[in-house]
Amino acid sequence: MHLTAFAVSTQLARLNWIDILVIAIYFAIVVFIGFYLRGSSNTSEEFFMAGREMTAWIAGLSFVSANLGSLELMGWAGSAYQYGILAMHWYWIGAIPAMLFLGIIMMPFYYISKTHSVPGYLKLRYGDGARALSAVSFAFMTILMSGINMYSMAIVMKVVLGWDLNFSIWVSSITVAVYVALGGLKSAIYNEVLQFILIWTGALLVPILGLIEVGGWSNLRQQIATNLGRSDYVHLWSTLGHFSDNPMGVNWFGIVFGLGFVVSFGYWTTDFLVVQRVLSADSIRSARMAPIIGAAFKMAVPFIVILPGLLALAVLPFHLVAQDVAVQTGQHSFNEVLPLMLVRYCGPGLLGMGVTALIAGFMSGMAGNVSAFSTVWTYDIYGAFLNKKATDRHYVAMGRWSTLIGVLISVGTAYLVQHAASIMDYVQQLFSFFIAPLFGTVILGMLWKRATKEAGFWGLLAGTGTSIGLWLWVRNDPSALRYVAMSPDAKDMAENIYRALWAWIVCVLVTVVVSYMTKPRPVAELEGLVYGASVLPKEHDDHWYQRPILWAGIVAAIFIFLNIVFW
Amino acid sequence: MRESFSIWWFAGILLLAYGVVIFSTGIWELSHPLANPPVLNNLHAPIWWGAMLAVAGLGYTIGFRPRQTVNKRRK
Repeated sequence: MHLTAFAVSTQLARLNWIDILVIAIYFAIVVFIGFYLRGSSNTSEEFFMAGREMTAWIAGLSFVSANLGSLELMGWAGSAYQYGILAMHWYWIGAIPAMLFLGIIMMPFYYISKTHSVPGYLKLRYGDGARALSAVSFAFMTILMSGINMYSMAIVMKVVLGWDLNFSIWVSSITVAVYVALGGLKSAIYNEVLQFILIWTGALLVPILGLIEVGGWSNLRQQIATNLGRSDYVHLWSTLGHFSDNPMGVNWFGIVFGLGFVVSFGYWTTDFLVVQRVLSADSIRSARMAPIIGAAFKMAVPFIVILPGLLALAVLPFHLVAQDVAVQTGQHSFNEVLPLMLVRYCGPGLLGMGVTALIAGFMSGMAGNVSAFSTVWTYDIYGAFLNKKATDRHYVAMGRWSTLIGVLISVGTAYLVQHAASIMDYVQQLFSFFIAPLFGTVILGMLWKRATKEAGFWGLLAGTGTSIGLWLWVRNDPSALRYVAMSPDAKDMAENIYRALWAWIVCVLVTVVVSYMTKPRPVAELEGLVYGASVLPKEHDDHWYQRPILWAGIVAAIFIFLNIVFW
Repeated sequence: MRESFSIWWFAGILLLAYGVVIFSTGIWELSHPLANPPVLNNLHAPIWWGAMLAVAGLGYTIGFRPRQTVNKRRK
């Protein structure tokens, strides 16, 4: 998202003292939680893994909330305005199957291996090479993403409320630093649960009142078709036959295999930002249920993110424009659609709650990034390579300091982005470079006993190199997109999806080839790490309706039903 | 046994506080109409939305209130 567009727009609303009170209540509670939990974060297990005592519900809500950053909320609402209901794919096929797969298939291996992180699992499965590569890339990109989230939040506060950029950046980042450094992962998780509730209570009125205004879903579809003169904005699958048949410029193959398989499985099953929340569960059953609970809520998020974007197409008396046009003309850009809809329906008090929802989205995203960074830095870089024999107390202190330093680097990134907005576009794509191949490395490691130490490292490196290479190719020669995405009609979204698919394929191929060229590890060493070499602990459910597979089936059935309804 | 606060109790407190503030604002607006009302202001969303938040918050605040004894629901 290119957010310089925000900076040229005029202020949308002015908060009164009730709105300020609503925001102040929120800040007071999140800081109180940090101080309250300070006493229960004294050991590394407590600080980095929340003592592994979170229930399935808490871990599950935190799992979804850590993903609901400000970029996620406002970016996808803007994408819904720009591309129509196709943006929903990033919430449904681009999330639900992967989350269920994590809960049913992968979580037992993460959990019984007792790893503290995804790079930590790679160390157990493949050795130090793969661990170092994934830890360094993850730590670097996570902290940059945190800064970008911070800048996007601050710029929205400037546009919507006229708040000073420095004020927004420093107040929110110091708050996150205080509660994460004091209470560790438990504090981050507790606040993420609160933030998830706040996001819903603050944003839910927009789709409710919007649907009342337009007269229901059927009228909304008609109104969009009338306003735009085309009907492809409200169909989820029927326009995906060819790249040129839909506003997004993608096809069904890319959505199913690129987004639904590689990108989605890569993010939801190997990005430590979200996986860390599930690793904090109090039992293997909770660890399996958490992603399933998260999937159920994730399926509902489009109601407060995608639907407002669609409603804006029907009810706003003016058109939103692309970012570059907004910069030149001073109009509102796609990315401002969620704040615009909040201002449309919310008076004093409710507007404060809506703004609090946006701030909460930012804080949950940033806390997720910072706590994951702190863990990977302390366990997988500092503790693994720089200082292997320190005391537990020393590592906890390092965790607190790395949290503070991580926040400071994020602030620096936010200012860097302010002066070079294109960095933001690049960094987000850079982040995707590592996720798709990482999924190939992890999934082969979990499901294939033959995968070797050398293959894990070289497969990951080759996949990442492929992704970066394809990205550079298209940047230097835009016409190369026809080869990367396999169509001259493909657009940006298709490029990202297909690039991930190629990176994953190369990673898997290299891993398989190198595995057969190198000596496998004895099966006995793979106990607890690989399917077929591990005995999973028996789970005892008191009742049949407590079984994770049952709830995964119910979520899957609702997922299929919704896709058919909005076909 | 150390007394502990449940996350759900925190959620209840937050919702209750917001519900009371939003509901009160809605009631106030009945006698002091806004100069620039939002769209569908005639539905008085702050009143029913604030009331729903307050009821939900009250339920969680009471149901998960801190106790001296160990409670499995607490986390």
